[in-house]
Amino acid sequence: MTSPGVEATRAQRSVLAVDDDPSILGLMADILSGEGYRVVSASDGRQALDLLAQEPVCVVLLDMRMPRLDGWGFARELRQRGQRLPVVVVTAAENARAWAEEIGADAYLAKPFQLADLLEIVERFCGEDRSAEGPAA
Amino acid sequence: MDALQLLQLIHHGVWVALAAIAVVRVARRPTRTSLDIALFFAGIALFVIESRVLAVVDLPGGEALRAAGVILVVALPYLLLRILDDFAPVRPWIMRASEASVVPSAVVLLAFQDAQLPLAALLYVVAAFAAVAIYSAAVAVRVARGSSGVTRSRMRSIAAGAYFLGLGILVAGVGAVLPAATAVAAAVTQLCAVASALSFFVGFAPPGPVRRYWQIPELRGFLARASTLPRTGMDELVREIEEVAGRSLGARAAIGLWDETAGVLRFARSGGMPSVVGPGSPYLVWRSFAEQSPVYVSDAATANPAAADEYRRVGVGPVLLAPITAGERRLGVLAVTARREPIFAEEDLEFVRLMAQQAAVLMESRTLIDEAARVRAQEETARLKEDFVSAAAHDLKTPLTTIVAQAQLIERRAEREGRAGELPGIRRLVSETLRLSRLVEELLDASRLERGAFEMMLDDADLAAVVREVATYDRPGVERIKLEVAGPLRGRFDARRMAQLVDNLIDNALKYSPAQSSVEVRAWSEDGLARVAVRDAGIGIPPAELPDLFNRFRRASNVDHRRYGGIGLGLFICRGIAEQHGGRIWVETELGRGSVFQVEIPLRGAVPRSPGLEAGTVRA
Repeated sequence: MTSPGVEATRAQRSVLAVDDDPSILGLMADILSGEGYRVVSASDGRQALDLLAQEPVCVVLLDMRMPRLDGWGFARELRQRGQRLPVVVVTAAENARAWAEEIGADAYLAKPFQLADLLEIVERFCGEDRSAEGPAA
Repeated sequence: MDALQLLQLIHHGVWVALAAIAVVRVARRPTRTSLDIALFFAGIALFVIESRVLAVVDLPGGEALRAAGVILVVALPYLLLRILDDFAPVRPWIMRASEASVVPSAVVLLAFQDAQLPLAALLYVVAAFAAVAIYSAAVAVRVARGSSGVTRSRMRSIAAGAYFLGLGILVAGVGAVLPAATAVAAAVTQLCAVASALSFFVGFAPPGPVRRYWQIPELRGFLARASTLPRTGMDELVREIEEVAGRSLGARAAIGLWDETAGVLRFARSGGMPSVVGPGSPYLVWRSFAEQSPVYVSDAATANPAAADEYRRVGVGPVLLAPITAGERRLGVLAVTARREPIFAEEDLEFVRLMAQQAAVLMESRTLIDEAARVRAQEETARLKEDFVSAAAHDLKTPLTTIVAQAQLIERRAEREGRAGELPGIRRLVSETLRLSRLVEELLDASRLERGAFEMMLDDADLAAVVREVATYDRPGVERIKLEVAGPLRGRFDARRMAQLVDNLIDNALKYSPAQSSVEVRAWSEDGLARVAVRDAGIGIPPAELPDLFNRFRRASNVDHRRYGGIGLGLFICRGIAEQHGGRIWVETELGRGSVFQVEIPLRGAVPRSPGLEAGTVRA
């Protein structure tokens, strides 16, 4: 899954954080906005899909166990819509890596993560050098 | 020969045959009862033989023989009561009366030998016989009601014998009084005599096959119940076996359980047995257990004079003992006792042995079931604990995520904004939350190892590079580390886990050694193994604690717990990591001189030991 060029340029500094824990959402917004990212937050998969329809993003930071629509459901619907987006599974569960494989995510981040880990992974998908790779609008 | 004569021949034949068996028995085992039985049957048989012989040939002194025969016949009621007395208590005055009646009966019969008996005399003889027979039947019935199994069947047989005897005598009396009924009465009397002889014999001295025939239903019932027995406790099981064994033999049965720690046999219910029997005890039950051999004695007091008084006190006569042993495991002894001698025969020993074998199987399976249940409960407790640890550690992770990253964010901002005064405090906050995070991770790792769910990600890696990197981390005391790496050490490793292992060893070495001493970290290869050694000049480990050192929650006792934090999981996890790589970890230590922790990992084809791990199945 790689971000298509057109969308990537438009959404290059937007990150979608999906987590049912408000303090995790607050934390991510706090960290990433300080680094110049725009952070869009959703508390479940359904809300995340709705937001994606309105706003393109360069990466989705996806919790797996959530009410309404969980990480698996979100990934499935995303695929059905034919939308291709970098997804990073962020979970405290034992099998973070296996779940990431399962839903075809691009990377995973195990909780508790450190500041540097989060920045590094977001940078990987939304960084300046990546946007330069995309074709000019 | 007419039918009546044939019947008489059969009648006589039966008595003579049974008498022969009884005599052989008394010769083999001369006891009071067998003697009484032999006298009873032989008395009748002699009379029969003598009357038949005298009918054919006129022997000299035939009169005297005839007289002896009459006396034998009139003594029969007395002999019958004697046998009965061996099985059940007969009132003494009745015994005396029957003894006394022998003489007048003999006188009456002898006086009118060839002449017709006067009615009064006839009635007297018939009444005396019938009274004894009916009394015997009543006693036997009463005893049968109060007993069970073989004893009950025997007493019923005896009762039947007595009834037939009484009936036969009454009918014979009627035949003598009414000449018209003589032929019929004679036939009925003959039939009654045969039935009586057989019933008495079966009751007094049941042959083996009859005994077994009586025992089989009890044994079958016991075996049928056996499948449900082990569900109850050991105590109920023992009681049930005692009951069935007692019931089937019509006696008291008691099981003495072997108490291995005390080295004694314990009887829960007395059943004629002492409650504790140990080495040096005079009882036969101890002999049976110690020698592991079944024992039968017809009278315990005679067979074992050392404990005769005790046997008499509790009313133990004959004893059957069989050790209860499952394979090599001695479980106890099955003891069956009765008050009166003729209740058992030696043949019953086989039956008791069979019971004891069944008891052994049941008790052994009960023990195994109990054992299995205990192990299951233990495992369940352990699993619940592991589940709890895992769930608790897991729930700690989410708040930790916010705390760790948020603290680091605050630190970063303070650095950027140059708030130098706040920085030391913020850094403490960050390092302590990281430590907390590591502890939670350790708990989880330990729990994963316990559950066999320790996930490994084996990749081609260079252990030398891992050691070099870990040993040069910026940490307090890093300058004390003397690093000596002969690499590369290429193999299949989980680099993150190996780093965790080496880091832990270096951490311990720095922590438990004097501030100025050096810590040597070496990595090299030898015989296809990658080896890492971490040597410190620290406090060392007491030898007694070495075997447990790599177990969970074990910390050496000479560690100051307040000075050195930790929950004792580090080395347990280190061992887990080494073993998951197919390697091992050990320590050489000297108190006060220091320790060398060594790890060796096969360099090629490192395979996780336990199957079912997800190692290698996950490839990002």
